[in-house]
Amino acid sequence: MILRASALVIGVLLQGVPVIAQSPAADDPGLFSPVTWDRLVNAADEPHNWLMYHGTFASQRFSELDEITSKNVSKLTLKWVHQIPALDRAQTTPLVVDGVMFITESPSNVVAVDADTGRLFWRYEHPLPDDLKLCCGRNNRGVAILGETLYMSTNDAHLVAIDARTGTLLWNSEVADHEKSYTKTAAPLVVKDKVITGVAGGEYGIRGFIDAYDADSGHLAWRTYTIPGPDHPDNATWEGDSWKTGGAPTWLTGSYDPQLDLLYWGTGNPGPDWNGDVRKGDNLYSSSVLALDPDTGELKWYFQFTPHDVWDWDAIQVPVLADLEIDGRTRKAMLWANRNAFYYVLDRETGEFLLGKPFAKQTWAEGLDENGRPILKPNVFPSTEGTLVAPMAGGATNWWSPAYNPRTGLLYLNAFDGEALYFQRDDDYEEGEIFLGGGTEMPQDVANYQSSIRAIDADTGEISWDFPITPRTRSGVLTTDGGVVFSASVDGFFFALDAEIGEPLWQISLGGRPHASPSTYAVNGEQRILVTMGNSVYSFGLAE
Amino acid sequence: MHRIVKRTAGRLAPALVVLTVGSAAVAEETPNPYTSRIDIRSGARLYRAKCTSCHGINATGGEEADGPDLTTGRFEHATTDTGLFRVIREGVADTAMRGLKRDTDQEIWQLVTYLRTLAGTASATDLPGDPEAGRAIYDARGCAECHAIAGIGGRLGPDLTFIGDERSPNELRTDLADPSADVDPRWWTLRITHQDGSLSEGLRMGEDTFTLRIMDADENLRSFSRQDTSSVERIKESTMPPTQLSPEEGDDLVAYLFSSRMPS
Repeated sequence: MILRASALVIGVLLQGVPVIAQSPAADDPGLFSPVTWDRLVNAADEPHNWLMYHGTFASQRFSELDEITSKNVSKLTLKWVHQIPALDRAQTTPLVVDGVMFITESPSNVVAVDADTGRLFWRYEHPLPDDLKLCCGRNNRGVAILGETLYMSTNDAHLVAIDARTGTLLWNSEVADHEKSYTKTAAPLVVKDKVITGVAGGEYGIRGFIDAYDADSGHLAWRTYTIPGPDHPDNATWEGDSWKTGGAPTWLTGSYDPQLDLLYWGTGNPGPDWNGDVRKGDNLYSSSVLALDPDTGELKWYFQFTPHDVWDWDAIQVPVLADLEIDGRTRKAMLWANRNAFYYVLDRETGEFLLGKPFAKQTWAEGLDENGRPILKPNVFPSTEGTLVAPMAGGATNWWSPAYNPRTGLLYLNAFDGEALYFQRDDDYEEGEIFLGGGTEMPQDVANYQSSIRAIDADTGEISWDFPITPRTRSGVLTTDGGVVFSASVDGFFFALDAEIGEPLWQISLGGRPHASPSTYAVNGEQRILVTMGNSVYSFGLAE
Repeated sequence: MHRIVKRTAGRLAPALVVLTVGSAAVAEETPNPYTSRIDIRSGARLYRAKCTSCHGINATGGEEADGPDLTTGRFEHATTDTGLFRVIREGVADTAMRGLKRDTDQEIWQLVTYLRTLAGTASATDLPGDPEAGRAIYDARGCAECHAIAGIGGRLGPDLTFIGDERSPNELRTDLADPSADVDPRWWTLRITHQDGSLSEGLRMGEDTFTLRIMDADENLRSFSRQDTSSVERIKESTMPPTQLSPEEGDDLVAYLFSSRMPS
């Protein structure tokens, strides 16, 4: 379904994409100007802006801004706060384009504000039906931009295009049927003239997919199912018809390598989550990373982190792209700290497994074999009476962004050394209804488990440092060329650590729970640090 | 209170005999395999779908269909989980209680698990002990030095004003016999050594990445920065000494504590 609000307008705006426009100088953001494909590819060259969900296509969540350093971060002061009206989990990473900031709000709204003052230009409110079935809140994590158009997922599983200057709806495409419990929460990713987007619903027996829409028209360009159909040999990794309700959603934004022209996207858990008896086999391509041709959606390679996942360990993490020295060779690598407690390094050109080591407590695998496949310990599957396994279903880490700092060679992430009792139960699939096949419990209070910001040596997988968090963190991480790591704790602290050694440098109690990842930008030549906590977006800068 | 028994005993007693004799599963008591929190939730869902029209939304008995109160901890037609399973599966002859024939064994067991959690809402008069005698024990043993009921007593242990709403009789028995068996982190002790070597100790009011908050022995609220400490020790045992009680005294004290609840 395509609802055309203003076909003529978009035609004019996007005709001949990429639009040619000069990137503004770093110290003079100038006025909002179209975000061309060239600007997106070279987003790292304009660090005063934050042009896509992960900052750049490499998704390192690293910024070359260096006004705020480990030496002066203690002088950070609050510049402004934007209060989100709807009370829910605020998961947004705002975009910043030439002094204008685009903040998504729960449930499926977006505002444009002045990045210097936080004051409003416009708000777009997406109408939603009242029969939504959402596993995990009315969330939205952000928009994508191309030219002068924003692209946003909505909770009713639509993709909308919005005029970045006015907030006017340009088109509205149904991606999937929300009555079948598909939903959409993640920021899309623009690749060339297409908008790439995924779906959520892995707890409802959906069949996951990744879509590409024509940025101009909103028409579907290609769809790649994350569970291959019966005409594909990998369909045999699902017993019987279980592939039809096998989940493998795609609810987080992927990455892109312009040189290799490959798109990378993680996939979620197979369904039902905890009863693998009804879906025997490896269940490809659940809990995997897929490498796709962004023009056609053709699968180039895949790597499955957790074959036959029966613990709900979605591979919904950020594919971090970096070039590493491994065994004396420079490798085009992908760094992946997985929910299953293993840190992986893959060759992002071929999918070859290069390295894998635990980064958090795990009791389910003896290790990984030479191809990166886990060697299971006995008696680790969910059971009637409950099987104790680490990590917990929420994972040793989760979807919150890690950050890779090429200056230190460290990957920073939130880590949790938890465990859970995994229960298997019978569950009949009913369209649109929750489909879990069991559940989990933590055997002890959360205060008994270790949570940390952990720094992993990207080349070796060794833990470089560990900063303990009490009670725990559910925030992503930002790192900068100023030698700082920023993150937050569930009880409302926003804090800065030394990127080299993990020592605390500064903290402030904001009181709200973080569900997002910090970011940074500059406006009027001044660096700002942005964090979303509770239902508010906070902008910090150095005291004048 | 025994109103279920009074209401239905005459009509239903023969039905139980028939079931007891007639079911092949009766010979053995099968432990309920589905007793986790997720099973309680699943059982509650099934209860809402299948049982509320007769037993009421709060399971305290239906108005129109006259279903019995299921919150007393006692059931007219069954004492064991297996017995409850059978009643739910097969129903009770000559009553409005029809069996759930189409639901899976797992679902029936989950319903049993859910029903068992409702026993916490039973009244203290169903328990063997004497609440008044229990009150005397509570006073004589000095429980009020640390615990408070209705504003009278100390703050160095959990407030017991509504403890009967929060803990089942069996949980209370465990709490009394082995106070350190399952200590909520709120009642851990933090032993804090400061940079200057001095010591602070108290109940764990709050603890986070950068700060510590305790209540000391004099009920003072104190807050510290972790930066100013050299070590922090968590003591996860309860500060309550084990109670030395005879079985009868234990029953009495449990009955008293269980009667301490929000007026209905």
